[in-house]
Amino acid sequence: MQLGAYRPGSSLVHRAPLGLKSAAVVLGSVAMLAAAHPLATGAGALLTVLAYAGAGLLRELLLPVRLMWPVLLVLGGFQLWQAGPWTAVTVIGNIFVCVLAARLLVLTVPMPRLLDGVVGLVRPLRVLGADPERFGLALALMLRSVPYLLGSSADVRDSAKARGLERNPRALAVPVVIRAVAYAQQTGDALAARGIGEPDRD
Amino acid sequence: MPTDPDPAATSLSGTSLSGTSPSGLPGHREAEPGANDGGRRGSPRPRWGAADLSYIAVFAALIAAFSLIPGIPLAAGVPITLQTLAVILTGMVLGPARGAAAAGLYVAAGLAGLPVFSGFTSGIGVLARPSAGYLLSFPLAALLVGLLVRVLLSRIRRARFAVLFTAGLGTSFLVVHPLGIAGLMLNAKLSFPAALTADIAFWPGDVLKNLAAAAVAVSVFAAFPKLAPAAKPRPKQAHGS
Repeated sequence: MQLGAYRPGSSLVHRAPLGLKSAAVVLGSVAMLAAAHPLATGAGALLTVLAYAGAGLLRELLLPVRLMWPVLLVLGGFQLWQAGPWTAVTVIGNIFVCVLAARLLVLTVPMPRLLDGVVGLVRPLRVLGADPERFGLALALMLRSVPYLLGSSADVRDSAKARGLERNPRALAVPVVIRAVAYAQQTGDALAARGIGEPDRD
Repeated sequence: MPTDPDPAATSLSGTSLSGTSPSGLPGHREAEPGANDGGRRGSPRPRWGAADLSYIAVFAALIAAFSLIPGIPLAAGVPITLQTLAVILTGMVLGPARGAAAAGLYVAAGLAGLPVFSGFTSGIGVLARPSAGYLLSFPLAALLVGLLVRVLLSRIRRARFAVLFTAGLGTSFLVVHPLGIAGLMLNAKLSFPAALTADIAFWPGDVLKNLAAAAVAVSVFAAFPKLAPAAKPRPKQAHGS
């Protein structure tokens, strides 16, 4: 399983700090959505394509388009019929530009840096009782469990198919979930035995 | 906004291994809240131990795995994914607080860029997609179904399957579908009737998934009686699966 869509590079877009890039994506997207005007959508599209070109990742523009076009075609046709061409262009364009702009973050920042960024976002919430260290630990544990559970799902699916039960959600889900609970209990015991992840006592 | 990672503490491996846990004694197990909620009553916020943290992380991973595996082909040829089944099941099995934390961790990890959303997509871009409302409803759905199951199962001893199914279906229609419709209206600029029509397409699959979630929860409670809310598994029900 390929973890993350990171495309290594040394362009200006790659080297820009994560905080700056995410602020640009979020604020730019919000401004474009608030304007709700075809010109704003056009400007957003232009900026996004320029950023992709700057990162040398123009080919990456195609994948989200390939994944999303059936839904957006239906939606665009419906909006064209209901509200006219400008609304259709704005709605579809806004969705595409937001998705593509956000994907540039995943493409140009390595996964561990992104996760560190999220843990960093939790840090100011410490006054409210949040615990960034344990949040980071939970993220790391989750990351480690996904491949195990995907493998377990594939095994169970094969054996269900052998019994002709591949269309029975219960036969597919029960063994995976039982194994997941057992796995969680073992992991919890292993952490507790090492004193990791216990709450601060004050 | 995230800034450059602080070299002092934020590296994930550093967090997990050199974390600031004061209870570093080996064999420090007696205070572990474990699977029952008993130890947390009366404290202002839940104090989760390693076991709770592990449940939350593994069930977040379970939602991810069930979002990523290919859907089950139904008779009509339309595949249904097990994603919402996993969310409802998480709330049923872990209870409201840990269930909501697991679903929230899943959403947060996906928004941060882990490819855990269906089709291996990720990042904050999903918030602009028409389906964003369904995704954001997951933590609330796990919370509500956990609450309903805890309240109902502590009063009703019989017909656990029916109780679990009712709680799951009720949560779907009180939380998941309204927020999903709101997302369709906001992101796809659909009118309410149009959004409702699009949403109705998911109803038959939703009923099936809640039936399956209730059946799986019954099996999990039979296999791990400590996780069951009623805490008094009767021998008759222990063979229920």
